[in-house]
Amino acid sequence: MDIRKIKKLIEIIEESDIAELEISEGEESVRISRYSSPPPVAAAPLVAAAAAPTAPAAEEKTAGHVVKSPMVGTFYRSSSPGAKPFVETGQSVDVGDTLCIIEAMKILNQIEADKSGTVTQVLVEDAQPVEYNQPLFIIE
Amino acid sequence: MELPEIKKKLLLLLADGEFHSGTELAANLGVSRSAVWKQLQKLPELGVDIAAVSGKGYRLEKAIDWLDAMLIEQALSETSRALLAELEIHQSITSTNSHLMARAQDHAASGTVCLAEYQAAGRGRRGREWISPLGGNISMSILWRFQQGPAVLSGLSLAAGVAAIRALQSLDIKGLGLKWPNDIYWQGKKLGGILVEVAGEANGPCSVVLGIGLNVYLSEREAQNITQAWVDLQGILNGAAPPRNRLAAALLDELLPVLAGYEKRGLQHYLQEWRSYDCMSGRSVTLHLGQNSITGVVYGIDADGMLLLKHEDGSIQVFTSGEVSFNG
Repeated sequence: MDIRKIKKLIEIIEESDIAELEISEGEESVRISRYSSPPPVAAAPLVAAAAAPTAPAAEEKTAGHVVKSPMVGTFYRSSSPGAKPFVETGQSVDVGDTLCIIEAMKILNQIEADKSGTVTQVLVEDAQPVEYNQPLFIIE
Repeated sequence: MELPEIKKKLLLLLADGEFHSGTELAANLGVSRSAVWKQLQKLPELGVDIAAVSGKGYRLEKAIDWLDAMLIEQALSETSRALLAELEIHQSITSTNSHLMARAQDHAASGTVCLAEYQAAGRGRRGREWISPLGGNISMSILWRFQQGPAVLSGLSLAAGVAAIRALQSLDIKGLGLKWPNDIYWQGKKLGGILVEVAGEANGPCSVVLGIGLNVYLSEREAQNITQAWVDLQGILNGAAPPRNRLAAALLDELLPVLAGYEKRGLQHYLQEWRSYDCMSGRSVTLHLGQNSITGVVYGIDADGMLLLKHEDGSIQVFTSGEVSFNG
C-alpha cells in the first residue's frame, strides 16, 4: 500500500475518535490502532455523547458582554459543593474577578471576568457540562 | 507560616523518636514541666502522636524526617535546578496550592515551589479534604506560567500523573498505577493525588499551580479520617520509605520538565505511557458527575485524555470530568 495512503489514514484516525481501523486492499491489509496493546474489548461503535446541552440563546438582543467558555469541561459556580457562588446575578465585577470554575480532567480553571460591569445573566447551571465557546455569563 | 517557637523547638527535640524526660525537655526549652506537658497535649492537632511512658518520658510514635531545602536542591538534576526559581518550605500552612495561587497573583516567578510539613486545610478536588499530618507526607505545589490560555493545558493533569509515577519508579517503588485522570494507586489503594489549578485570561497568559499529595507515613489515628482505600509508602516498602527530601527531589526532577515543555509537547507525548500505567481499563466503575452517577466499563482514554466508558448496549461515552469509583 502507498505510504502516503497510510499517512492519510493515520491523519484520519487522529482527527476522529476511532480507536482502531483496518483496511484491506487486495492481498494487502493495514491495521492502525491508537493503542500500544489491543483494546480490552472488541471495537465498538464510538458514540461521542458528551450530553452537552446546546448553548442557550444568549444573542437575544443583549447589549452586554458575553463571557464564553475557553474550553470543554464541567461548569462550577463555587469553589466547593455548598460554598457561596463566586458571583450572583446583579453583582458587580471587576476585570480579573473569578466568575466560575471549569473543570476538565481534574484541572480546575478559574475563569476571570475580562470586563468590568454587572453580571446580568448566569447562563449555565452548576455542575453542568459546557462546550468550547459556550456563553456562560453576560456582563453589562 | 511558622509554628510557635516553643512548639517548633519541642518537635525538634523529639524528632529523633527517642524518649525524652519531661525534666530534660523543660530544661532545654527553658519553661516549666507543666508548660511542656501543655504543649505535648497539642501535638496531636498537627497529626503527631506522642507516647508517654512513666519513668522514661515522652517520645514521638514516629521519628520526623524533616524537609530540608538544601538537601532537596542538592539532590536535583541540573535541568531541574535550572528550572527551579525558589523553594519554600513551611512548617505549617493552610494549603500549598492556595499559597501559590495567592503568590501567582503577586508576580511570583515561574518555577516557584512550596512544600509544607503540615497542611491545616490540605485540599483535593472540589473542596475535598486531604489529610496531611506533620511530617507524614509530601505536600508540594509548583507554580508555572504559560504564555497561552487554559486550552493548551488540556491533559496536563495526566502528564503530571505520568511524571509522578516515573519519579517513584526512579526510587525503585514498583507496582504503581494511575486512576483517571491522575490518582496514584497501588494494589487498588490510593497513594497520592494531583490537583491542578489555573488562573488567568481565557486566551492570554495563565498561571498554573500543580499540587501533589503523597502519603509517606500515616498513623492509624490520622487514617481514620480517610474515606477511601489508602496506602502509604511506609506500608508498600515494609517500613523503608525513602527520605522525604529524596522523594521531593525525585518528584521535582520529573514534574518541572513536564511543566516547562508542555506548551510544546502536549499530552500526545505522554499518552502511550499513561495508558501503560492505566489501572482502570476493563473494570466496572461508577462515575460521579454532579448529581448524576453513570455506571460502565472503562474503555481507556481517548487522544485528548478523556475517559471512555462503555455501556451495556455497547455504546461508548466520553467524559471530561467526574469522580470515578471502582465497583466491587
